[in-house]
Amino acid sequence: MPDSTALTDDTATLLHRCAYGDRTAFRMLYDRWGAKLHGIALRIVRQPSLAADATQEAFVQIWQQAHRFDPERGSAEAFLFTLVRYRALDIVRRTAREVLGYEGEDAPDDSPDILSRMVASSEGVALKHCLEQLEPTRRTMVTMAFVDGFSHGELALKLSIPLGTVKSAIRRSLLALRECLAA
Amino acid sequence: MTDRDESDALAGEFVLGTLDPEERRAAEQRIAQDPAFAGAVARWERRLAPMAAIAEPVEPPAGLWARIEQATGSTTSNVVPLRRVRQWQIGTIASLAIAASLAAFLVLRRPEPAHVAVLAPIANGTAVLLATEESGGRLTIRPNGAIQVPTDKDLELWALAKGDAKPRSLGVLPVAGRALIASLAPDTQLLVSLEPRGGSPTGQPTGPVVYGGTLSRVN
Repeated sequence: MPDSTALTDDTATLLHRCAYGDRTAFRMLYDRWGAKLHGIALRIVRQPSLAADATQEAFVQIWQQAHRFDPERGSAEAFLFTLVRYRALDIVRRTAREVLGYEGEDAPDDSPDILSRMVASSEGVALKHCLEQLEPTRRTMVTMAFVDGFSHGELALKLSIPLGTVKSAIRRSLLALRECLAA
Repeated sequence: MTDRDESDALAGEFVLGTLDPEERRAAEQRIAQDPAFAGAVARWERRLAPMAAIAEPVEPPAGLWARIEQATGSTTSNVVPLRRVRQWQIGTIASLAIAASLAAFLVLRRPEPAHVAVLAPIANGTAVLLATEESGGRLTIRPNGAIQVPTDKDLELWALAKGDAKPRSLGVLPVAGRALIASLAPDTQLLVSLEPRGGSPTGQPTGPVVYGGTLSRVN
């Protein structure tokens, strides 16, 4: 059997095995991606207990929805990241920041250097290049929105920019990214 | 901004996460109802996903895995997850719907099978193939109705022993059924995948698994 380790251990294969009810594969996914997903959730919701909720919900969904992973639509990693981000966004939109006015700690300083963390994948290199083509304030808006889960309103408050301006800047930035990535 | 751009920007905002709760819920409903919009969302997920690299990993709390195990039911049966395999994988295979109870009838007519499995399409659970294993390890697979396979494809039968990660090929499965000596343990999953003519070139399923069932002891 040629290189069976690679066949069984990559994230896409682990997801596929989860779709067949393979709990060993599920545990391997958790061991490999638990900290990353928790880090993504924590960055968005800011509270460790809420982040744990988001991470838990994401893994429950991974188990239940592994069969939905379609390698032609995106990488296995993107599938995992998307699930945990949506759970974290759901939580943060319905709880802390709105209901309690919870602000949490300030986001870590997002200097342009943070983009250098994206170069591990070829998709990351391309997106980094395109983000760098955006005007700096717009680039900050896009990364803060994605990584920190800020809504239009929160971005307006944080950056002291009118809400309408934030909305149109985000839209233009997204369409510019789309064009750049297609080029 | 064109309508198309408008719609695509909304999909991008949904993925970016900037929509307020009401807008977010509306977008979720649209994803469920509007395949074009859902496709746009999927493309944005793919485009923006690399930004997830910016967030640093943080070890989750120690008890989290236990909570996840509890929430997902750590003793899940083998059959249920099989049915969750995506519906489109059924694809071009059409089967006559025959009640699973017929399987019991067929079993009774056979001489003392030791183990039996009902192989059903992944999506709806109607019996399509019946597998019986007699005590000598003779495995018989019979169709419960007409099975149609595209002319450029073959069905291939696989055995996935309990606890194993990878199935073992039991060879191509003609639509009329087949008998073979297999000596399978109870709780082995029998899977049928759609493969190129002559069977999988890799020794592992390459096409969708269209039918599956678990071999159980006959009481």
